[in-house]
Order: sequence, then structure tokens, then C-alpha cells
Amino acid sequence: MAEDRFPPGTRVRTFHHDPPHHTRLPRYARGKRGVVVEPEGPAELADVSAQGRADAPVEQIYAVRFAARDLWGEGDHHVVLDLWESYLEEDPADER
Amino acid sequence: MSGDHSDAAVARRVRRLETLLEEKGVLSGARLDEIIDASLSGASPANGARVVARAWLDAGFKARLLADGTAAVRELGFMEGSYQRLRVVENTDSVHNVVVCTLCSCYPLRLLGPSPSWYKSEAYRSRVVREPRAVLAEFGLDLPADTEITVWDSSAETRYMVLPARPLGTEDLGEERLAALVTRNALIGTAAV
Amino acid sequence: MARINDVGGTQGFGPIDTTDDAEPFHADWEARVVGLFNALRGQGVFNTNEFRDAIESMEPREYLSTSYYERWFLAICALLERKGVLKPGELEGLDG
Repeated sequence: MAEDRFPPGTRVRTFHHDPPHHTRLPRYARGKRGVVVEPEGPAELADVSAQGRADAPVEQIYAVRFAARDLWGEGDHHVVLDLWESYLEEDPADER
Repeated sequence: MSGDHSDAAVARRVRRLETLLEEKGVLSGARLDEIIDASLSGASPANGARVVARAWLDAGFKARLLADGTAAVRELGFMEGSYQRLRVVENTDSVHNVVVCTLCSCYPLRLLGPSPSWYKSEAYRSRVVREPRAVLAEFGLDLPADTEITVWDSSAETRYMVLPARPLGTEDLGEERLAALVTRNALIGTAAV
Repeated sequence: MARINDVGGTQGFGPIDTTDDAEPFHADWEARVVGLFNALRGQGVFNTNEFRDAIESMEPREYLSTSYYERWFLAICALLERKGVLKPGELEGLDG
């Protein structure tokens, strides 16, 4: 990718993405805040590719680190997920 | 699904499907045997163990491994031609890593061999992201309270392998002896080594 | 809507059976199913994302009561039917 939209360290938030089709954003991480660890390399968006379509967009995938507390309200550990770019937005600073 | 889930019943249906596909010219039986062999051949936790032993002995390799796992394991002849990316995550005094695929069962087969049933189970997939410390204790791994745990959920194209910490008292061991210490569970993160 | 495979953080699945498998496949048909998957995918009959989608689309009760490789088998059958390689009911010999 020419320039990744979310460089390492960017605070991001996952969309409340709840489609009727295949997706790779687990329910436990929807609408949650995390921090980008690093890009993982671009790939066809699984949501579209799973529908047997030839027009799946290629997007960057980011490893995003979430605090257990932000996912479930408790816990000292962290969870890292690999998420396609369209699952993410920059965490709006003014809502923090 | 109602009906017989027994091995015999499923085996009959699988055989029937193979026959149908052969009749339709979609498959040939001989090729299927080759494909079964090819999918598992060479896949073994001995591969991952060798990567770990090399990293323990060679600081330059270790740095390359952590920076770009795919390229580094290719130096040892693994994962050539694979489209998947490999990320190796390092256990330290303060951080312990464990790998899962909550959505299905993604796993670095080439380096770890076939995945164990527990890795594919709903129990592991549901609980390790939520209560990793308790899950690791079920595997007999009790981590100090001040050890941070990071759970890597393989939700896209990258496959993960843990680089366990080198055990104390192994300073005199060569690569082969070191590799023999490394268990498959340690490469997933459910054992210390 | 979240699907039944999306189990991260779901309660109630109980203790983990940590015993190792003696063999990668418990029965020969399991190895055949993996071979079928690789062969069909290699020929471009379906891609991995479509395959995952087919497994996830199983009715929850069926998903939870079916063994891992039987899910693979059912997904392959569903895809072959969807793609017109198999006629509905053909595998059971019910297609006339």
C-alpha cells in the first residue's frame, strides 16, 4: 500500500459491523477501541470474497491491540486481532 | 441435522461424494490420495522447534524472525511458496503470548503440524480470549501474577507462532538438543517450553 | 448478525480437554475430507472464504452438534450444490 491509513500507534475504533454475511470482525470486538500495532499486509476483503464475487477490494490489514478491560470491562490481558481497514475508523479524540 | 453422525455413516457419504465427483470428472481417486499426502507431508512441530532453537542460538536470526517471520523461516526452508504471512511473537520475563483462532481454526500447519482437537474446540476458542490465565492453568501453566498475557486471535491471513523463552541451564546445548526441548504446545502458547 | 462460529467470549463451553490427539485424523474419512477440500479449492471450485462462510452458515444447533471434519464435509456438499456441481438431493440419491 502506498501509505497506510493507520500507522502503528494510531488509536482506532472498530465499527459496529454486523452484516448478514461472512465477516472476520468477531462480535466481541465490535465498536471497541484499540491501538494499531502494525500493518499485516494487504488482502482481498474476506466479506466480499466469501460471496464468490470477483470484485473483492484489496485492503490493508492491521494488527490491532485491545485491552481486555475495553473489550469486557475487566481483565488485565490484551487481545490482538488482525482487522481489515474497512472495519476500522480513527478513534474520535473528542469522545475519549 | 437429524440422522446418523456415526463414523460409518459419514464415511459412507464421503465415499459416495468421491464416487459422484469422479463420475462427473471433477476428481480422480488417485489424485485425491496424493493431495491428502501432500497437505500433511513435512508439516510437523519439529519445524517450529528448529526455528526456535536457531533463534535461541543466533541473535541475528532471532531479530530477523521477530521482524519478518515469513522471510526468516524461509532461510531454513519452511513456508516456501506460502501465501500466508507468519508472525512470531516472543515470550519474555514480563510477557506471555498465546495464539487462537476464535472464528474457526487458523493455524500455522507447516511449522506446527496438524492442530490438536483442543485448539479447534469451542471451549478453547471461547475462553482463551476472555480468561487466558485460567485457560493456561488448565494446561498446567501457572504464570506469575505480574506476567502480562497477550492473546493473538488469527482473524485474517497472518498465522502466529510463539517464540518461548529459552530455559535456564541450557547454555551448553547445541541446536538439536535445544530443539528437542520445544513442545508443540509451547509454540501455541499453552506451555512454557 | 453474529454467527454461531463466533464464539470468542461466549460462556458455557466448559473445561478444555487438553489431551493430545494420538493421530491427526480419528477416522480415515476425515483425511479424505481434507483431501477433497484441498482438491476442490485447488481447482478453483470455491475459495477458502466461501468455505468458511458455508461452515458458519450452518444452523447453530447443527454446528454445535457436528464434529469438526463433518462440518467441513457438510460445507463442501453445500458449496457443490450451490455451484451446480451437485444437484439437490443427488448425494442422497434422491434426485430422481
